Amino acid sequence: MSSVPAIEIKGLRKTFRDFWLRPVAEAVRGIDLTVERGDVFGLLGPNGSGKSTTIKLLLGLLAPSAGTVRLFGLPPRTRAARSRLGYLPELSYLHPFLTARETLHYYAGLSGMGGKTAKARCTELLEQVGLAAVANRAVGGFSKGMARRVALAAALVAKPELLILDEPTSGLDPIGTRDVKDLIRSLARDGVTVLMTSHLLGDTEDVCTKIAILSKGQVAAFGRTDELLTRKQDARFTIAGLDEEQAKAFAAEASAKFGREVLFDHPRVPLEEFFAETVGEGR
Amino acid sequence: MRRFRSLVRSATLEALAEPLSAVLFLVALIAVPLLPAFHCHQFGEAGRLPRECGFSALLVFGIVFATASAVRVIGGELSSGTAAAALARDVSRLLFFCAKVIGVLVAFALFSVAVGLSTVASVATAEMGEVQERLGYAHVWLPGLVSMVVLTLAGFALAAVLNRFFRMRFCVTACLSVSGVQAIALALVAAGSKVPMQWSLLPALAALAAGCGVFVVLAGALAVRLPPAAVTTGIALAALSSFVWPVRAMLPDIQMFWLVDSYSYGGAPAVGQLASAFAVGALLSAFWLAVGSILLERREIP
Repeated sequence: MSSVPAIEIKGLRKTFRDFWLRPVAEAVRGIDLTVERGDVFGLLGPNGSGKSTTIKLLLGLLAPSAGTVRLFGLPPRTRAARSRLGYLPELSYLHPFLTARETLHYYAGLSGMGGKTAKARCTELLEQVGLAAVANRAVGGFSKGMARRVALAAALVAKPELLILDEPTSGLDPIGTRDVKDLIRSLARDGVTVLMTSHLLGDTEDVCTKIAILSKGQVAAFGRTDELLTRKQDARFTIAGLDEEQAKAFAAEASAKFGREVLFDHPRVPLEEFFAETVGEGR
Repeated sequence: MRRFRSLVRSATLEALAEPLSAVLFLVALIAVPLLPAFHCHQFGEAGRLPRECGFSALLVFGIVFATASAVRVIGGELSSGTAAAALARDVSRLLFFCAKVIGVLVAFALFSVAVGLSTVASVATAEMGEVQERLGYAHVWLPGLVSMVVLTLAGFALAAVLNRFFRMRFCVTACLSVSGVQAIALALVAAGSKVPMQWSLLPALAALAAGCGVFVVLAGALAVRLPPAAVTTGIALAALSSFVWPVRAMLPDIQMFWLVDSYSYGGAPAVGQLASAFAVGALLSAFWLAVGSILLERREIP
């Protein structure tokens, strides 16, 4: 694998200006980030922190006011760079008059795919996102979640090396959310680099190997998810088959031994897992 | 080439999928045969009123269709985000703009062909009416008129049936079917008419379509930077002031493309007139295509 990172951002700044070129807002204020190949990278931050602007700068849709952006070592507006990426926008921008299958064919065509290859890929993706049964319906009549699945399939159609996902689970039900997270993990196993933003921190924590938190257009925190979230000064044990009385006794004994307060609780099943078990996988 | 084809196809579909397009097709293709039927003056020539009616329908409805479609396909895509989704891929902005404009031009060409065929049939119907009038019958040749109107309505009904039973896109199918039936109507009129068909009208109609086609490119170029209302107002002002220098140098002077007067009393436009109309149309289209491409290249897509 080449040592050139998938994404390299240095000193990136973006100031939006009005018609008279007066500065209106400084959305990005000097970001430095590197996303290595194979990373699943989460870009987090509150509204207005510069996440979407950073993504549009990465895609070459906006021009930086200062700094540089490189995708696989190339400027983002070069065809060689963009032919290697897939993009899922924050809102599922789709032509309402096209069917789900036609939408995927359209995006396959834009990626230079055609004929039987495009047809087979579209069918495969429609199966993968669970829309094969409604493939010939116009997407204008789809629910938000269904439109999201089409948009996700469109982002994947060209088998990208770098996938940029802006709020990928927005509008999806818990089963759909879990499917998307499984898909991201599976793509990462296949060596695809993923950059995603999400307001749902739990989703990001579940799938991202690295995260950066943006605040007011700057990087407030950056690193491996495990390292940032693990409190190494504390320890937690899970002992199977211990009832309330035994747990209390164990806590008292441990507290006496180490001279520190020992807390215990009972493990909980994540709501997403409980929901999936309850509705029997949904679709 | 696949990228180009995909963009052209989606732009053509988008232009035809809009309800306004189906309405304009229907109104124009009903107006062309029907208006001359209510005439009270022939201006000394049986075919003159339907001829001018056909050219007027192409000019007026054509500019409305061209402007509305270009604004929707290019401006609408830029504001709705579908352009961003396309331009984030391996698609250059030049290719995107040119393909979208050509897609709208394909839809506009369909409209022009349908109005052109309808005009030729309508002129034949009026001239047959004059023959009948001399023989003491009504001044309208009813079989020709009825076949044109009924077939146009049948085209619309066919689109409704296809939508109901096969889920085909109503507006797109309606535009295609009402255009398709014009060829059938023309064939029926040609078979029944005892006067020669004026095929020579077609080059002048094509020249006028080339002039209207400039408005597709112009509206597309303006829609890259301006909101729809501003583009529509701009086009209206441009059409009104197209005879004033320097606007005249950048916009189609409609008088140059309006060659219908040459057909009075059996005349026809000179080859040079037709050639200069097509050349000016092509030059102005290329100019606005370049302007639109540069504007899109420099535009930030939020």
